[in-house]
Amino acid sequence: MGLLALAGRQVRSRVQDLTVSRTDAVTRILFEAFSATEVRLFYLLGYAAIAVFCYGVYVQIRKYRRGAALKLEGGLWSRSIAMVSSVLSHRTIDRRDRAAGGAHRLIFYGFMLLFAGTATITLEYDILEPLFGIRFWYGKFYLVFSLILDIAGVALIAGLMIMMYRRGWMRLPKLDYARPDRMPGDPDFDRPQYRREDWAFLWILLIIACTGYVLEAARLVWLQGRADVWDTRWWSPVGALLAEGMRAIGLGEIGAGQLRHGLWWFHGLIALVLIALIPFTKVKHIFTSAASLMVRDPLAAQRLPRVPESQEQVGAAKITDFNWKQLLNLDACTKCGRCHEACPARAVGAPLSPRDVILSLREFARSTLESGVVPDAAELDIHGKKPGQVAMETLWSCRTCMACVEICPVAVEHVPIIVQMRRKLVEDGAMDPLLTKTLQTIHKTGNSFGESKRKRGVWSKTLPFPVKDARKEPVDVLWFVGDYASFDPRNQKVSQIFASLLHEAGVDFGILYDGESNAGNDVRRVGEEGLYEVLAAANVSALKSASFKSVVTTDPHSFNTIRNEYPDFGGRFEIEHYTTLAKRLFAEGRLQVTRPLKYRVTFHDPCHLGRFNKGYDAPRELLALLGCEMVEMGRCKSNSFCCGAGGGRIWVPDPVGAEKPAQNRMKEAAAIPGLEVYVVSCPKDLTMFEDALKTTGNEGKFVVKELIELIREAVPARRTEEVTA
Amino acid sequence: MSGILVIAEQRRGELRPISLELLGAAASLRRGGDEVAVAILSDSPERFVQPLSVGGVDEIVTVKVATPEFDPDTFESAVGALVARRSPDVVLVAHSVDSFGYAAALATRLELGFATDVFNAEHIDGELVATRGGYGQKVNVEVDFPGRNTVLLAIRGNVFKAPDQAATPRVTAFEAPAAHSRAKVREFIELSAGDDVDMGAAEFILSIGRGIGEETKVAQFRELADAVGATLGCSRPIADAGWLPKSRQVGQSGKTASACKLYIAMGVSGAIQHLAGMKHVGTIVAVNTDAEASIFSVAKYGIVGDIFEIADELRKLF
Amino acid sequence: MKILVAVKQVAALDEDFEIRDDGRDVDPDFFIRDLNEWDDFSLEEAVKIREAAAEPVEVAVVSVGTDEVDESLRKCLAKGADRAIRVWDSAIEGSDSIAIARVLAAAAKREAPDMLFAGVQSSDQSFASTGIAAAALLGWPHAAVVSNLTYRPGAKSAVFRRELEGGLLQEVEIQCPAVLTIQLGINTPRYASLRSIKQAASKPIEVLSLADVALSEADVGETGSSSRVRRMYVPDKGRAQLIEGDAAQQAARLAEIIREFKGARA
Repeated sequence: MGLLALAGRQVRSRVQDLTVSRTDAVTRILFEAFSATEVRLFYLLGYAAIAVFCYGVYVQIRKYRRGAALKLEGGLWSRSIAMVSSVLSHRTIDRRDRAAGGAHRLIFYGFMLLFAGTATITLEYDILEPLFGIRFWYGKFYLVFSLILDIAGVALIAGLMIMMYRRGWMRLPKLDYARPDRMPGDPDFDRPQYRREDWAFLWILLIIACTGYVLEAARLVWLQGRADVWDTRWWSPVGALLAEGMRAIGLGEIGAGQLRHGLWWFHGLIALVLIALIPFTKVKHIFTSAASLMVRDPLAAQRLPRVPESQEQVGAAKITDFNWKQLLNLDACTKCGRCHEACPARAVGAPLSPRDVILSLREFARSTLESGVVPDAAELDIHGKKPGQVAMETLWSCRTCMACVEICPVAVEHVPIIVQMRRKLVEDGAMDPLLTKTLQTIHKTGNSFGESKRKRGVWSKTLPFPVKDARKEPVDVLWFVGDYASFDPRNQKVSQIFASLLHEAGVDFGILYDGESNAGNDVRRVGEEGLYEVLAAANVSALKSASFKSVVTTDPHSFNTIRNEYPDFGGRFEIEHYTTLAKRLFAEGRLQVTRPLKYRVTFHDPCHLGRFNKGYDAPRELLALLGCEMVEMGRCKSNSFCCGAGGGRIWVPDPVGAEKPAQNRMKEAAAIPGLEVYVVSCPKDLTMFEDALKTTGNEGKFVVKELIELIREAVPARRTEEVTA
Repeated sequence: MSGILVIAEQRRGELRPISLELLGAAASLRRGGDEVAVAILSDSPERFVQPLSVGGVDEIVTVKVATPEFDPDTFESAVGALVARRSPDVVLVAHSVDSFGYAAALATRLELGFATDVFNAEHIDGELVATRGGYGQKVNVEVDFPGRNTVLLAIRGNVFKAPDQAATPRVTAFEAPAAHSRAKVREFIELSAGDDVDMGAAEFILSIGRGIGEETKVAQFRELADAVGATLGCSRPIADAGWLPKSRQVGQSGKTASACKLYIAMGVSGAIQHLAGMKHVGTIVAVNTDAEASIFSVAKYGIVGDIFEIADELRKLF
Repeated sequence: MKILVAVKQVAALDEDFEIRDDGRDVDPDFFIRDLNEWDDFSLEEAVKIREAAAEPVEVAVVSVGTDEVDESLRKCLAKGADRAIRVWDSAIEGSDSIAIARVLAAAAKREAPDMLFAGVQSSDQSFASTGIAAAALLGWPHAAVVSNLTYRPGAKSAVFRRELEGGLLQEVEIQCPAVLTIQLGINTPRYASLRSIKQAASKPIEVLSLADVALSEADVGETGSSSRVRRMYVPDKGRAQLIEGDAAQQAARLAEIIREFKGARA
């Protein structure tokens, strides 16, 4: 101990040497002119606030632990680094709203600096000095410290005021709490408590920040007689300005002293109250959002979780059926409204908003899992229309397009939550009769069209060359065709063209014919996990018996599930979407553009290729290669607007009179002047958009074409003799 | 005795037209000295004598029973007694909802030869051979009845022609034993629900089936039917789903398009129950994406194509 | 209280089916088997009655066939049936609907239910007789083509509606126990998820022999039937005359047909 104290004294004198100047003794005396009683009282209140804070944290953590267990993949270290990088860069908050990102940075960094400042002072005052005699908060360090914190305060206030302007004046649609899954008159339709809390948070922070400056100014006026304080006042510029103002209105030293004393308590108490209330209010997003980012699953919607064999209950029936990460997700939500804005179902008036699903469940979790004793199972049912519950119509409206998951700044994973609730509905048979019929048809015939298995390869019979049966002979490329491309007449034409292109490019390819079943992507997203397991097992078995180097598919849905989900079922195959294969064929010269197309086109990113699997580039490169003039729609790439067919919705009729997502999208495309071709690269997109082209009255203005068809136009078929030679 | 006994059907005081078709069937089965008798069961059977007085009928047997409307126990008892007394070679009933309720029970109790939904019956080498459908009407099945003295056949509707001339057959009354009925008819309920279309009288029908996909598409076809001057009809799934009133359903249980001369079926696959209601129509045009749909087997003209495209194009021409 | 539901596993024909060598049936290789569509509705009706009843009601399903039928019985168990019974003996081969009805009636005597449901007809052979024939053998009141039913388990009577031709309904009161054949559309059959079908695999299926139901070989098979199949053949299908061309051309020809028809009428 003696050695330490000696070392401390030596450091101190060194620092003092370095900063010898008129300023070397300047510092702020804490609790100056406060009585010992007052100081003790403050510390008591401080500890009380911390105790309340700790209790609040305990209640929250207890709530999460009441959920189901979950084992996370990936190491803690890499997750932490990812989270810190995400938070510090603010990149997720910048997305689609640079203004919000900027304003939040001001608040975040302002607050963080101020907090770090207080922590630093506490570190010296409460720990280092009394225990080790170390001091550093004085002199040059102190002055620069003051300046930085003053700037931080300005940033904080600026950020807060921008946010107030956004909320109060800009009337942003995504900040509108009106919800599509309840009717006006329902007890939880209007949520004034959210608005109150939002404004309270903003105001409290603003008051704390502003009173901080007034406090600073008052101290300066009070201690204006002290040279070391008054002469260095411009290192706290805002305070100094305010001090000048105070003096100008005649505030004297005594008055300022009293003001400071009173305001100090006010500022302190509010700050302590804020700290205590963190776990009970939206302020907790500081922790829950960061934690949520840390437990993020980058394949959340692309790869859904399996149902363990042993599990009795399939899907989520009670709030406790969700795992701790999902319960954490519910608390991470900051009601930013980006998912609400991005959702295609919500955009066309369906009773679904991903935001409100999360908020309902959050309220439900709060009202049931935050009490000392968990209520009976009967009261934990999350399905229905009571406050906190989610209605069937809401869950069935989802297209599982993952626009919500993709844009959420705090990594809430809405889609797996919705699918797990759907699993319960499927077990109960609570779905549209047409959906029931389709699932039964898929079970019986292996495809959603009800056609005999033997008809799967019939589309290939009209081709002038035979298409290899990959079950019987080895091939280089196995083409997983998919239901729509095999059975739907319009899409069969596209399949025939693709087969011809592969043939002309000299690709050794084959298909599985009757051995192929529906890949199961949408069956899984409907929630029929049992049927999905049957389909996946059948396809994995068929693929494993065949001999090939790689798999290609023209169907993004099949692409997603084979790539991301089949490995969980024992089948890991190298699979690509046709756009990457085609790109390669052109690069290798096996396909050559002989008739460049001069069309003005736009490209619709299919959800399962684009957003799900980041496949934005290959189609665009192909279009450029073909000579097309590409004009992007506003909602493109990761923000592509779903055609509405996903999540089983292609099998369920839309309500009479409602707008369909595909129609909404067509109107967006129609706004492009001189558009000639609306390009798709997914069989369901082709079906949905050709229909929407007619029903939105755009027939004749532009056409809908599969990218494969455009390739065919630019690479006209060679004469048969050349092909077979 | 021997001969052919036909059991006529009546409902709400009217003779059902299939009764006359049965007489047509009986005429085609008649051999040499066979007599054809037709029995009518009702609480006042005399009023049906006149409509049953057609060519080919040798005898009308009036059977007075306690109930004005069909009742299984009553019919089994009365027809059973009739068959026991007369021992006909063949008994013909309609393959109808009423006969579903009693014919099999009668055949079982009296140990008769029995076949239903018969659309052809003849004697081959002295044996009665009936033809019916099998495996969803994809095959024809010839059945015979070795060792059975009396055979009960339920005849399919809209296959045999009713006799066209009038005649004056002799009328006899049959004293049916008192039957102990274990059911009581309460009332009839019309299902029209405001839609007062009479499918039975429509000469030109345009029907839609499951191929239209969703309820939102019904409007397009309703409009098309109006434009071309047809009555809009549908198959069972559409009516069961509530997309159109039951009164528009064509099929075995729905309306039989008896007066129809031109029937356009769009998106109708041709399930047996539906075919039963329209296959007799003179000119049937089927539009379907599936070239193998059963509807094409009964249609005169077929279009393998997208029903919406065809509907659009057709609409432009009217 | 018990409701017994007679179900049938029907056979649909696959593409390019072939007739057996003896010409009396189709080669079973081409069969696609599934539960009869009508049985979805009759089973659902029984399960609905059980769910609405205050006292416990057992819903049992019974079918006649080889172990191939077990798959359809499992589906019934997944859809809410409590027990499944299957009766088989090689002598039953070649039975028509009356002979099958004899087996079902014998099984029903053994089970002694309060009601017996069956479908109006099967989608493969469409006899529309089996349920009512069984009623005659049981000596029970019976009715066919029931499209609506109000029944309290164990009650002395039930009220139902028959769906007549032409969209007409008839309301009837019948004494119970009774045999009712159920029509499509009476209810919305529930979905049996694949998981529940897999779980139903653990429920037992009681297999009975002819002796178990007190029948002899003479009661079934061809000897017990009321008709015999002489010949089965594929009819010359009246093939429709296909109208070729693109949609516009096809529609034009169709318009011609319509105008011809209207002209002939005028």
